Amino acid sequence: MSLLELDSVHTYYGDSHVLEGVSLTVEEGETVALMGRNGVGKTTTLRSILQLTPPSEGSITYRGEELVGRETHEVAGSGVGWIPEERRVFAQLSVEENVRIAVPEGADVDAALELAWDAFPDLADIPERNAGALSGGQQQMLAIARGLVGNNDLLLVDEPSEGLAPLIVEEVRDALARAAEDTTILLVEQNLPMALDLADRFYVVDHGSVVDSGDADEVDADSDRLTRYLSA
Amino acid sequence: MILPLLADALGQFFRPDTLVNVFVDGLSKAAIYAMIALGLTLVFGLLGVLNFAHGSLTMIGAYLGGLVMVLVVGSATGDVARLAAFFFALVFVFAALAALGGLMEVGLIRELYDRPPVYQILLTFGLTLILDELTRIAVTFYGLQPVAKWQDALGTKPAFMATSVHVGGVDLSPLSLFEIALGAVVVLGVWLFLTRTRYGLVIRAGSEDDEMTAALGIDVHRVFTVVFALGSGLAGIAGVLLMWDQVWGASLPLAQQTLLPAFVVVIVGGLGTFRGTVVAALLVGMVDATMTWWFQNAVSFAGLPQMMIFLVLVVTLVVRPQGLFGIAEVGDH
Repeated sequence: MSLLELDSVHTYYGDSHVLEGVSLTVEEGETVALMGRNGVGKTTTLRSILQLTPPSEGSITYRGEELVGRETHEVAGSGVGWIPEERRVFAQLSVEENVRIAVPEGADVDAALELAWDAFPDLADIPERNAGALSGGQQQMLAIARGLVGNNDLLLVDEPSEGLAPLIVEEVRDALARAAEDTTILLVEQNLPMALDLADRFYVVDHGSVVDSGDADEVDADSDRLTRYLSA
Repeated sequence: MILPLLADALGQFFRPDTLVNVFVDGLSKAAIYAMIALGLTLVFGLLGVLNFAHGSLTMIGAYLGGLVMVLVVGSATGDVARLAAFFFALVFVFAALAALGGLMEVGLIRELYDRPPVYQILLTFGLTLILDELTRIAVTFYGLQPVAKWQDALGTKPAFMATSVHVGGVDLSPLSLFEIALGAVVVLGVWLFLTRTRYGLVIRAGSEDDEMTAALGIDVHRVFTVVFALGSGLAGIAGVLLMWDQVWGASLPLAQQTLLPAFVVVIVGGLGTFRGTVVAALLVGMVDATMTWWFQNAVSFAGLPQMMIFLVLVVTLVVRPQGLFGIAEVGDH
């Protein structure tokens, strides 16, 4: 049984048919990259898993349990974390509060904070600062820290390198690589070298469905197999 | 002709006893405005719902609080017992209105979150009409005049609140001081709840981004219900306080009389912000108290003081449309 399995998932935004039968699997412990051009349905796939944009057809199972029809907080509560596009940190809350709120009720908050500060020492120096006042890179660190402390078995990571300086992208990649040692990751990423570096396997999405898949070490970032789907 | 009158009024206004009186009056008005507006701003901040029924909940709170007081207090009841009855009424009304608010959220408002704001406005406006008419029927059945202040409830005040106290050469109203103290306790209590508890943290996070909050495993809909209940309870206890105030009193028009200043405070402070609401309540309270003094002692124009708070609203909307502490978007779902 796969940790996560999507079977013929169809999702709409109003009349717009965005996912046209996406099927994929993610096994426990691996990192899977979901690649494709802008607007082909990668983010919608993650939103469908979380039931933020519930599918109208198809099945999504996590540890064999059907997720379609469940509430987002139930999906998240079962161990599925989300590091969204554009970070979406709580700008009016402090850095520490952003971490605290991601700690599941009843879990050890101090241990979670220690985990977050160990992962990102830069954040440990500014726990009281409003998250809205952080740089883009610091916000991305905070978003990842939030995912780390949530006791998640699966992290859905959406465009973590988007809009970041190359030096910060390196840091983000390293942080995700460390997270991948303990957590399964489904990664949406347009930065092909980074995605292939982190991933064990990949799926390519085009026009709302999976058009290619394979092991990450079978391809490189400028191989024709990928670039024909990913070039603008 | 006008200048000597103005100079005379200025001289009176800047006398220390006048300034202290206006300041205390301003603080008591601020306490009342803060109590009325806090529930409204919490609900708007998290749910994005502008609750037009908020004033009606305050009015019902005033009547319910009055009912408790009238039933408990007799002519022989001492001041301490009256105060104890008042605090019992506060707790009772908070619980009753919170339960009513919770039911309203679960049964009606929850259905409309995904619809345009006009649906919520129409629904809560409709609720106002229903709640006001039900109250009118109940009050009339009880033998009261719905549009007149409920004198029996006003009469349950402790005797010491009906007189003035002399402090440092200044006569102050004990009721005003009581309103300030209670308002401060409520504001402090809500602030501690929002900043020192996990639920408060969840509310503040949900006010910014309810989708992200849900994706962290938090049942945002349950939080919505709790916040609507809390907001309704706060509206109710503001009503209990107003029941004792001769300026307000328990009456059917109290619903509209409190809703408008509450909107002014919430908009001036910045929709959905706790800090903005408290600061705006202070600002509006002080402007109201100052203008009340001027239009009672220098220029006789009875309706104008109340109108001046709308001037504060207009100036704020022109100079800083998002309010004093407003953020770009709240309650977006």
